[in-house]
Amino acid sequence: MEAVVALERDAQLMLRVREGDDTSFGLLLERHRGPMVHFLYRMVQNQAVSEELAQEVFLRVYRSRETYEPTAKFTTWLFRIATHVALNSIRDRKKEKGHESLDEEMLDGMERQVADRQQTVEQEMVHEVKLREVRQAIEALPAKQRAAVLMHKYEGLDYAQIAGVLSCSESAIKSLLFRAYEALRGRLAHMA
Amino acid sequence: MICLSRNEQGAELLSSYLAKTLDAARTAELDRHIRECADCRGLAMVWERLDEFAVPEVTPGFDARLYARIAREEARVLGWRKWLWRPVAPLAAAAAVVAAVLIVHPFGSPDAAKQASKTEIEQVAQAVDDLDLLTPIDR
Ligand SMILES: [Zn+2]
Repeated sequence: MEAVVALERDAQLMLRVREGDDTSFGLLLERHRGPMVHFLYRMVQNQAVSEELAQEVFLRVYRSRETYEPTAKFTTWLFRIATHVALNSIRDRKKEKGHESLDEEMLDGMERQVADRQQTVEQEMVHEVKLREVRQAIEALPAKQRAAVLMHKYEGLDYAQIAGVLSCSESAIKSLLFRAYEALRGRLAHMA
Repeated sequence: MICLSRNEQGAELLSSYLAKTLDAARTAELDRHIRECADCRGLAMVWERLDEFAVPEVTPGFDARLYARIAREEARVLGWRKWLWRPVAPLAAAAAVVAAVLIVHPFGSPDAAKQASKTEIEQVAQAVDDLDLLTPIDR
């Protein structure tokens, strides 16, 4: 029920952007900035890159305003653009420099975050190790499975929406997610 | 039989189960099953472990950086449109199309053309994007 209301609100805002109302673009940005950056962060596991990519997404939305038609759900469209830019970025970065460096950048950010909270050294270490396992398990998924899991687990998209984002049938998404969660179970369940 | 790890709806069922939105009968059935099934316990555990993957706050300058990029792009587009507001516009567009086609079909063996990587396809997509900008829209 809530989703329907959200859809209409987003589409209305976007139609106003099409008519030249930049305030509405600001409202759309306000509503979707967090989910976009967070989705992209978990996709590429690097904060600077995720923000850069999220800007690319919103830039494309703005660029498309004059031809926008509310045919698909706005969120689906947004995640479609985000997945596209993320997959391109992952491919390019793999070409450029192997993904070890990704890990290092991630660890930096993670260590800072952990240090911010006042935990004992021991808790910190346990937390760090567990977080690293989760990150690596997600990173080990094929990119499309990774995108599907992130949308499903963290962004609350249902099978139909994810199917729309990835241009697959719903049943294809079901088995994609099934395989992905099975892979995660294989990697994570034994080390809880 | 409700085993999540043998059911393609498993992920959906599990998320509803953990969010406690399943009806009482299903919840009870799953409670019982998860106690007996190690695979499903594993799946439930994975679901909870994924919650550990926290995300950092969006940095404060995010919107300002975005609006600066938009402004730069707007300025560029305005420049294009001004330049195109001349009789040569259709010619320029045609030349751009020819250029784009040449990128996809470089002269050479069909094999070489086949090897044209995704990068080239993207360059064309970019060129097509730019073509969109070539359409005079001043209203
Ligand atoms: Zn089971």
